[in-house]
Amino acid sequence: MSDIKANGEKSPTIVNDIQIDDTFAEAFGMSATGVIITADTPKWAMIAAKTMSGFGTSVIGCGAECGIDDEVPASDTPDGRPGVRVLLFGFSPDALLPQLKNRVGQCVLTSPGSACYNGVEADERLKLSTGIRFFGDGFQTAKKVGDRRFWRVPVMDGEFVCEDTTGVVTDAVGGGNLLIIGRERAGLLETTEAAVDAIAKVPDVIAPFPGGIVRSGSKVGAKYAGMMASTNNAFCPTLKAFPGSELSDDTIAVLEIVIDGLTSKAVSAAMKAGLKTVLGSGAQRGVTRVSAGNYGGKLGQHHYHLKEHLP
Amino acid sequence: MSTLTLTLRQGAQPVGRMSLAGVLPAKLAGLSEDEISKLPIRVGAGHFALGDFFSVKGTPGDTLVIAGGTHNLDEVGAGLSAGVIVVDGDIGGYGARRMSAGHLEIKGCTGPYLASRLSGGLVTVSGSAGDNVGGIQAGEKFGMTGGVVVVEGDIGTRAGDRMRRGTIVARGKFGDHAGSRMMGGTLWSEAGFGKEPGPLLRRGTLIGPSVEKFLPTFVEGGSHDLVVLGLLSRHVQDALGDLAPKALPRVVHKYSGDMATIGKGEILLFD
Repeated sequence: MSDIKANGEKSPTIVNDIQIDDTFAEAFGMSATGVIITADTPKWAMIAAKTMSGFGTSVIGCGAECGIDDEVPASDTPDGRPGVRVLLFGFSPDALLPQLKNRVGQCVLTSPGSACYNGVEADERLKLSTGIRFFGDGFQTAKKVGDRRFWRVPVMDGEFVCEDTTGVVTDAVGGGNLLIIGRERAGLLETTEAAVDAIAKVPDVIAPFPGGIVRSGSKVGAKYAGMMASTNNAFCPTLKAFPGSELSDDTIAVLEIVIDGLTSKAVSAAMKAGLKTVLGSGAQRGVTRVSAGNYGGKLGQHHYHLKEHLP
Repeated sequence: MSTLTLTLRQGAQPVGRMSLAGVLPAKLAGLSEDEISKLPIRVGAGHFALGDFFSVKGTPGDTLVIAGGTHNLDEVGAGLSAGVIVVDGDIGGYGARRMSAGHLEIKGCTGPYLASRLSGGLVTVSGSAGDNVGGIQAGEKFGMTGGVVVVEGDIGTRAGDRMRRGTIVARGKFGDHAGSRMMGGTLWSEAGFGKEPGPLLRRGTLIGPSVEKFLPTFVEGGSHDLVVLGLLSRHVQDALGDLAPKALPRVVHKYSGDMATIGKGEILLFD
């Protein structure tokens, strides 16, 4: 560990030969909902979940950030079959509703043997069955079981069972992140994959980008009109020669993990889990440094300082 | 947890029907034994004090025990919205009528109209139950609209009449015309149904191993592998624990009806 030098200049923190920047991840308040998808086998529950969460990397371009939180054992699902929990993050409950409807309607309803249930416990509800139940063309029936209502929609392999509503929270967090920097691309990817695996074990969070990893980190705006975001040139290795680069000469690549969570606490736990993995084994695989993305702290309500998340 | 016990006095058996409507844990809480003894009750056409028939002992609170029930005791647990009532013996009609929460446990048999217009809570009966369980009185639109009833023995005729939601489980058999005019909810028998279940059934589910005689307006639909049966099995297991019926198989034989109405009801038979 290190701190401020006598002349006031901050010196980097070094853990296991990896430099930790004295910076923070800046994250934003979001709304979030979720569903538990079940099927006859874990394989088909996962297929439906992956299909539903496809094209769900960035809320700006995809309408929602989606990902798989966890597998749910059969003993914990409403119908006693294996399940997968998918979380969706968006700007507001109103913005999430069409995403939920379209994704469940096109990707879960269509998947063999699937059923879809409430995935977030919250007082505020989204109409999960809206639209989808009318696929039954009048043959659909509702079944109230305890205090929960389910729709039974006739389909060609039996019935698609869909819960009437699912919970939505408006105090979720999107945009927790880690920038992992290395001097060897293969080792950097392996380390980042391991960090994503560690984050996957934290409940209530997703890493929405492909395999949990994003290689095209962005900054706000661009020189071109109409571009809301553009490449994060400060962290592009091929732009090291240009002004504004934040990379050292030996940097070959940078990978980012973006983390969305139902709570700030969950995002914080995920940041810790990711950092711990990177610092534990990263140096042997060529990781040299860990940083985080922010916008100067003026845009996002949630700041996750790397030094406060060290193992 | 405090318990108040009302013990039916030897030799003080009511001659007419005795209504225990309003004798509920929440209403007795805070009263002394003397005050409780003086509470008015209706017996036949006359008005009496509770203490004329029952000895009162204990501390009013969450649980009310009625020791020595008889088939003359009507409206036991009617309007119950919290707490537990345990009846050690039989009760008459209208037990748990309009009950919305809590638990009515009857260690005996019940008369007709048990759980009529029940909207929530749990009713358990160790013996058998009379006709019109979960049903309506004349002029009412809906019968049971929620809650769970578990009867260890048999249930009389027309159980679930105009029922809208909730679950009635019988370890024994349902009598004739179970599920008449039902609009939702579930009747679940471990021993089967009597004659012609589901007359004018609009929606709702009847589950059991057999039916004595089907109405001609029910249409056989063959075998089905239904996910919703897993939901129902899980729900009753969670709600009832040891009292839950055996989990359903996924594949059942389905009859749709009553085609004299909209035909969205179903009778599901399992092996």
